[in-house]
Amino acid sequence: MASNFGFSISKPRVIDIDRNNLRKSNEILREMPELQSCIGCGSCTASCTAGNLTSYNFRKVHTLVRRGEYVGAYEEMNKCMLCGKCRLVCPRGINTRKVAMLIKRKLGDF
Amino acid sequence: MSFYAHFTLPFIIGALAMFAIIAYRYTSWIVQLPRRDKALLRKGILSFATIRSVWEVICESLLHVKIWRRDPRLGYMHMSLAFGWFLLIAVGSVESLLYTGTLLVPLQGHVFFRYFATAIDKHIPLMDNIMDGLLLFVLSGVALAWFKRLRSRALGMRRTTRHTIGDRLALSTLWFIFPARLVAESVTAAIYGGGGFLTGSLGALLGEVVPASVLQALFEPVWWFYSSVLGIFFVAMPFSRYMHIFTEIPLIFLRNYRLSVGDKRTSYDNFQVQACSRCGICIDPCQLQAELGLNDVQSVYFLRDRREHQLTLNTAATCLMCGRCSTACPVGIDLNALRLNSRVEMRNTPSEKRFVYLRGLDRSEGMGKVGYFAGCMTMLTPRTLSAMQSIFEAADEQVWWADKSGGVCCGRPLKLSGERDSAHKMVAYNTELFRKHEITTLVTSCPICLRTFKEDYNLEGIEVLHHSEYIARLISSGRLRLRKGEGAFVYHDPCELGRGCGIYDAPREVISALGTLLEAKHNRRDALCCGSSLANLSIGDQAQLRIASSLTQELEQSGADTLVTACPLCKKALGRSAKVPTRDLSEIVAENIV
Repeated sequence: MASNFGFSISKPRVIDIDRNNLRKSNEILREMPELQSCIGCGSCTASCTAGNLTSYNFRKVHTLVRRGEYVGAYEEMNKCMLCGKCRLVCPRGINTRKVAMLIKRKLGDF
Repeated sequence: MSFYAHFTLPFIIGALAMFAIIAYRYTSWIVQLPRRDKALLRKGILSFATIRSVWEVICESLLHVKIWRRDPRLGYMHMSLAFGWFLLIAVGSVESLLYTGTLLVPLQGHVFFRYFATAIDKHIPLMDNIMDGLLLFVLSGVALAWFKRLRSRALGMRRTTRHTIGDRLALSTLWFIFPARLVAESVTAAIYGGGGFLTGSLGALLGEVVPASVLQALFEPVWWFYSSVLGIFFVAMPFSRYMHIFTEIPLIFLRNYRLSVGDKRTSYDNFQVQACSRCGICIDPCQLQAELGLNDVQSVYFLRDRREHQLTLNTAATCLMCGRCSTACPVGIDLNALRLNSRVEMRNTPSEKRFVYLRGLDRSEGMGKVGYFAGCMTMLTPRTLSAMQSIFEAADEQVWWADKSGGVCCGRPLKLSGERDSAHKMVAYNTELFRKHEITTLVTSCPICLRTFKEDYNLEGIEVLHHSEYIARLISSGRLRLRKGEGAFVYHDPCELGRGCGIYDAPREVISALGTLLEAKHNRRDALCCGSSLANLSIGDQAQLRIASSLTQELEQSGADTLVTACPLCKKALGRSAKVPTRDLSEIVAENIV
């Protein structure tokens, strides 16, 4: 009997974020270092105009992009209307509006 | 008689080169104008606008009336150089006519007339004195310009422009032109006599002090020097900021023919961009300069970079677009529109696949001929929303609520960030929504939305009102009765409402109906920006707070017990650092309904 008691990990379903290419993510962070202070509270998403109308979730997109999960981020970010409410409610004073524009600029190819 | 001497060559070549370059540029810009603009030009040229333009050219290009109003010393400096030089040329041709009796004097004949006049045995002292007076007039301007470089504050400017190398070359030669003329004419007067009160007496003095042989040896070189600085200046001119000297003239005409800067770059923009004299008057009003010490993003630098094809996204993006610089600009350049179309060029992307979720969306509530559009920002200041609700109830108004439970943005934030095509989607969506519900009046409490409704929407048949105008109308028609109290209110003019839409009086009328209205030091057209402007794409939170704090301080200095504004974004910004309560206009109205 193998030591895994008959259980095993289904390889194709693993998302190993350590293996992601963080080049774009680091570029974004370099341009906006204040992103490191994000506490992921989700105020941005709660106040979002587009999020009120669709499933668009700014916190989710931002978090995924920071982890190197770029696929679909550009399309998601294009739902943003840039109204800037998220910026006013951010407890860390992050210029979230600029984040949205930056992600669009950096990830246009993905 | 002949009007040729070898020393005139630099002048003649320089002048011909300058006129050739300028003629080529203007012709190609006019040819490249969009068809719509060409039609405006054809229509305008034979209208009253042409006469008005001529008058404006005299007032602005020669006399510099707008700069006079800003600071008389600065106005005098600009006027003495422009108007003085013009008179030197105009009166100079009269002078040569009186002396020679013919109009057929070539250009260099006027400019170096004192040189050629040595061959004429005739003196008209009055003419000599007038010409000397004009030269003194221009020289006083040059002296002030020198002094301004040393101490700009003395001429009413805290900061002046930092110049490029091309500008410095042209500037230096310009500074030498008139002193060189003075020297050349004085030396001539010393040898041949004549001259007016200035060159004549200087010449007499030179004649006594300097030996005649030295004066003879100097005679040709001083005229060579004068001609050369003129020649160099003329060649450098089209490639330096001095291109503005001539470009302001066609700009004035085209502007009066109603050509305008749109969200797409056109050849008309060339006239606007090159009419900038880099005088730097736009630097002092800029709060990014005053509060944050940012020194390279102001309109003068933006235009310089754009003209030299070196514009970066950062320069284009770092601006509140509050419009304080446009208000101050003596040339009347449409600074915000130019910045906006540069942003569009850098950031616009086709939007076919974007915002498909807008299709069929309608979360509006209620029924009525009056529509209320809160706008995104008002949703973050719910007190404004509930205040508007009580006002509508008190006035017994049937209201259609466009976005009370979540609506679509007006599109201005996207437009301001350069994403024009996406903004058009919002415009199309909201227009359709307003049409569908058949409203005849649209009230909004957000000046950002208001401005885009007025500028970018085609809402024919729907009257667009800011809530301050709407409330003022309710009061004057007696539908809303308010209690006048003891409160002292200071009103802050939001940029988009004041400079953007020209609404200054309606909010003040409403406040006056409630209590005492106080004014801040900067108010109306000169009002400061709260720093939270959506046009700013790069300035961080702390920097915004600094801008807002200095504004709240100024507002509090008025001694008011409440800060009042009429923009949800301004309210948010002021509230962060204010020691006294910050209220939206609608809130103080709703509290005092009888």
